[in-house]
Amino acid sequence: MAATVLLPSGSNVSVKVHPVVLLSICDAYVRRKEHQDRVIGTLLGVVVDNVIEVKNCYVVPHNESSEQVMVDVIHHKTMFDLHQKVAPHESIVGWFATGSDLYNSDALIQDFYSKESTHPVHMVVDTTLKDNKFSVQAYTSRTLALGDKVLATEFVEIPCDTIFGDIERVGVDLMLTGLNDPSPESKKETANKSFSDEAETLAASMGRLADLVAKASEYVDSVVSGRVSGEPAIGRYLADTLALVPHLTRSDFERLFNESVQDAMMVTFLSDLLRAHVALAERLGTAALPIV
Amino acid sequence: MVSDQVLITKESASPPPTYYNMAAALEGGAPRAHKELVKTVQLEGQVLLKIIQHCSEALPQLVTGQLLGLDVGQQLEVTDCFAFPAAVADDDVEAESAGANYQLEMMRCLREVNVDNNTVGWYQSANMGTFQTVELIETFINYHENIKKCVCIIYDPQRSARGNLALKAIRLKESFIELSKEQKLTLKGFQEARLSWRDIFVELPIKVRNSNLVQALVADLMPAPTATLADVDRLNLSVAPFLERNIQSLVECVDDIVQEQQKVSMYHKSVARQQQLYAAWLQKRRQENTQRLQDNLEALPEEDPTLFKPIPEPSMLDNYLVTNQIATYCDQINIAASEAIQKLFLMEGMQKAGL
Repeated sequence: MAATVLLPSGSNVSVKVHPVVLLSICDAYVRRKEHQDRVIGTLLGVVVDNVIEVKNCYVVPHNESSEQVMVDVIHHKTMFDLHQKVAPHESIVGWFATGSDLYNSDALIQDFYSKESTHPVHMVVDTTLKDNKFSVQAYTSRTLALGDKVLATEFVEIPCDTIFGDIERVGVDLMLTGLNDPSPESKKETANKSFSDEAETLAASMGRLADLVAKASEYVDSVVSGRVSGEPAIGRYLADTLALVPHLTRSDFERLFNESVQDAMMVTFLSDLLRAHVALAERLGTAALPIV
Repeated sequence: MVSDQVLITKESASPPPTYYNMAAALEGGAPRAHKELVKTVQLEGQVLLKIIQHCSEALPQLVTGQLLGLDVGQQLEVTDCFAFPAAVADDDVEAESAGANYQLEMMRCLREVNVDNNTVGWYQSANMGTFQTVELIETFINYHENIKKCVCIIYDPQRSARGNLALKAIRLKESFIELSKEQKLTLKGFQEARLSWRDIFVELPIKVRNSNLVQALVADLMPAPTATLADVDRLNLSVAPFLERNIQSLVECVDDIVQEQQKVSMYHKSVARQQQLYAAWLQKRRQENTQRLQDNLEALPEEDPTLFKPIPEPSMLDNYLVTNQIATYCDQINIAASEAIQKLFLMEGMQKAGL
């Protein structure tokens, strides 16, 4: 009877990363000290069911050579305390490192972080852009133990995804607009894109909605013509959505439309009136005169 | 890339570090005495996202944070930021020094990882665009004593929830700063300096810039081109609640202005009354003096500073701030109403197209 190798099964965890974290990591990588190859730091976030959501991170200075690794624990603890004051619900969920591969010293660092949190996640952000791709991978560790003796630590990859809050998406969109123009002069100009360019964003939204509707109608066409077998769930969903569109008689619609337009116009008129009033008061100096 | 680090030279003794005075607890020397004014603000992508995340998560509380970066001529580059813990309402001395400690600790830790250690301003979240308060001005002036170029970024999470990013960078106008230093915030002072209520704040254009690595990341992350929840919010036809809230705030502002007017009237009335009293007293004094001269006694002085203290003229600052507020609200209303009209006409077009 040989002693069994204990392989504790990891739970089905998956990791979701906010783009803030990735940007901070890249920034930290760009700012690293001269002799260092990679940057490591702590990940903060929340754990909901089996999904680990990484919301924030900070860099921890470290020193590594082929034999040993030194991590500035005091810095780590101080920063964690400071962050706790701002966001008390976030906890340590793991650590990150830049670079393309796992290093030998990673096991030791993983050990250290297991003392801080129960299932620390190790995230590797590939800043060397291997294969012309920016990859973000997450690992969780399993210890391979023979009876009581710990043999090795294995890093098991778990699915990792980037999630966008809606407003973050707007922010990232904004960063993209400065990107799509290759020439440097126009880059400066597009980078000056004003934040409140409402008409353009509205047009973009409408465009996306139109795309969506076109896709849906294409799908319906292909199902009807028999090219694609239809799925009842999708069909029901589409039917529900269409049923939500209100059927208004012409007069009803006209009435609603006119009322809304009148409201909007009246409000605009009132606000302009107020501004004119204030401007007049300023010119005539009545703002500072006593009420007679 | 190792960024220039500013030598931490002086450590100013901190006056009670309340929210307004946190700037005075900073360590950091002004790098160069530039006479140029800041004309644009350049943000890094991660600062933008951090501000958005912090302010949105902290709703409905309003929060603040510090901006770090460099000033390069006419452009202020903001490269990093961190959040302040929620302002403690009580006047506990411990709590205030804890706030200053937090700042010092954070700056020290960030210095160790090569983040620019130079404070360039602060950010705060605003509610429906209300940011023109006296505290803001006081904070600005406090910062100004240490750093010549500082900027405040105002983020409005509620307007941004409608799909457009409501972020603006403001600083005080130079002439206004000089005026307030001389404590001449009265009507005459403003008229002499030829400042109107428009000239208190200057809004600066914001640019977003990313290092090349980050640009590669962002390109990779490119959000899905399909419609999202943000689009649904943006295309939402109901603009009434937003307008209602704005108009309500506007009405409150107008009430404030009327109150300010009343203060001015009171001032004038009390000055007039004081003049009358003084005239009566002076006459009595003169009579007394003639009497005393007859009795060969010394004449009493005709002035008595202790009896008639000059009444301080009310500051016009509140008036101007409220006017600024009104202007902001009117702008917001105009933008929202025009957007609503656009959407309504779009819908009409779609209806007419025979749907």
